[in-house]
Amino acid sequence: MDHRPELWSETGTHARLVVLALLLAVPPAVALGVAAARRPRLAAVAVGTAGVIFTIPSLALFALLVAPLGLGTPPAVAALALYSVLPVLRNTVVGLHEVPADAVEAARGMGMTEAQALWRVRLPLALPVVVGGVRVAAVTAVGVATVAALVAAGGLGDSIFAGLRAGDSAEVLAATAVIAALALTVDGTLAGLEQWLRRGR
Amino acid sequence: MIRYDHATKRYGPGPPALDGLTLEVPAGETCVLVGPSGGGKTTALKMVNRLVEPTSGRVLIDGRDVAAVDPVTLRRGIGYVIQQVGLFPHLDVAANVATVPRLLGWDRRRLDARVDELLDLVGLEPATYRHRRPDELSGGQRQRVGVARALAADPPILLMDEPFGAVDPVTRARLQDEFLRVQHTLRRTVVLVTHDIDEALRLGDRLAVLAIGGRLEQYGTPAEVLAGPATPFVADFVGAGRTLRRLDLLSASDALAPPAPAAAPAGGPAVAPTVSLAEVLATLLTTDAPCVRVVDDGVVAGIVTLDSIRAALAATAGPASRRTAPQAAIETEADVVVDDDGESVVSEGGEA
Repeated sequence: MDHRPELWSETGTHARLVVLALLLAVPPAVALGVAAARRPRLAAVAVGTAGVIFTIPSLALFALLVAPLGLGTPPAVAALALYSVLPVLRNTVVGLHEVPADAVEAARGMGMTEAQALWRVRLPLALPVVVGGVRVAAVTAVGVATVAALVAAGGLGDSIFAGLRAGDSAEVLAATAVIAALALTVDGTLAGLEQWLRRGR
Repeated sequence: MIRYDHATKRYGPGPPALDGLTLEVPAGETCVLVGPSGGGKTTALKMVNRLVEPTSGRVLIDGRDVAAVDPVTLRRGIGYVIQQVGLFPHLDVAANVATVPRLLGWDRRRLDARVDELLDLVGLEPATYRHRRPDELSGGQRQRVGVARALAADPPILLMDEPFGAVDPVTRARLQDEFLRVQHTLRRTVVLVTHDIDEALRLGDRLAVLAIGGRLEQYGTPAEVLAGPATPFVADFVGAGRTLRRLDLLSASDALAPPAPAAAPAGGPAVAPTVSLAEVLATLLTTDAPCVRVVDDGVVAGIVTLDSIRAALAATAGPASRRTAPQAAIETEADVVVDDDGESVVSEGGEA
């Protein structure tokens, strides 16, 4: 029960790792998705590569990144960002493909430039699906960020691994519950945002 | 004025989608491109705003080759209505209608006023519909918004690709009426695509009948096309009801019988001179009267009899139809043409 203050600060660190990773990963993943949406070859290569990265076991990926980036926050954020690319990229490509063809044709036919059609029509219509990708990435990252403790980046993994070493199952359970709660909160919030975007503003 | 000058489009080896189309659409008129699927109608339409570039030949607007105009600038000056309407589902009605003016950088005040003016024009109460979203509208209302959006920046040219295709027949007829009303006041140069010959006859000042393979079979006014189909394909396409359709386009004053008005009987049915011959014929068939009096402002202008209707049809038959030998057959029943000449109809207009 006296772990509470630590749990709170670890939760903050945990969330910070996830947010930093998403801030780092989402813009390039969306940009890559936009570029790939009309280039099937690029889409295949990009989604394929991101898919391979996604399948690397988390422990291995964190360890691989310690060599170039050292210990601490950098390798943890980098690993989480790499995992986040796939869902966001894939959903951006899918979302843009699902934009009704008649709306795109109308945009072109009325004299929008490619950039105007992208910003005014294609991206706004793809946005709910893109947010769906961010949601999957965020929930995944909340779980995987537990491993960040092993590269000295902190987070709720600290409590879990400390609890395991000390045989304190209450501590392990408490930290696990917080991670689950964090994941559910992130999921619910982004699902709400997705719904709101779908229904329109 | 829009001029097609030997405009041809080929996609791959086979027969062209559009084959050397040459025709002129005078300013302020509605030209309907009509024909079966595969006739190149939409291809021809999209050449005007450069969504399709001709493989050879040119399209000119007011004498200027569209290929020389930047496509974005060109398109902002041409209203475009597509078959599936293509409203932007994430924007409300007002924002949809304001699309092109916004691209042109109009200020807020002018935009709002224009949106209301256009919604009024297409029969949608602005206060009610301004902030509706496309998925809250019926099919007919969506089509109206589509037309309003195309007219927003007051373009001199309007391209309409099956604009009334996605609605039920009753709504379609009402939208057609409103199109005629709006076009009567605005007098835009309109190119409209449809596969529906009735819609074409109703809306077009001129019809361009296109056959599979993108060949222009005939270009003329509805009366000309009905009275004198240039080819068996056109006769077949216009269909069996051709004579009745012609009677719709002619009025009582076109069929006055030779005897002087004084010879008209005192009693019996009477109609105004502008009433269609189809209605006069119906009157003749449903009453016992041998003739119908045509009365203009209380003055008897003459009489119409079955013979005089027959004479009017013969007199307005086009030169093409007089050239063809089995004319009587064509006049009464287009199906007979297919029977007599079925082979050539198929080989000319069919599979190819």
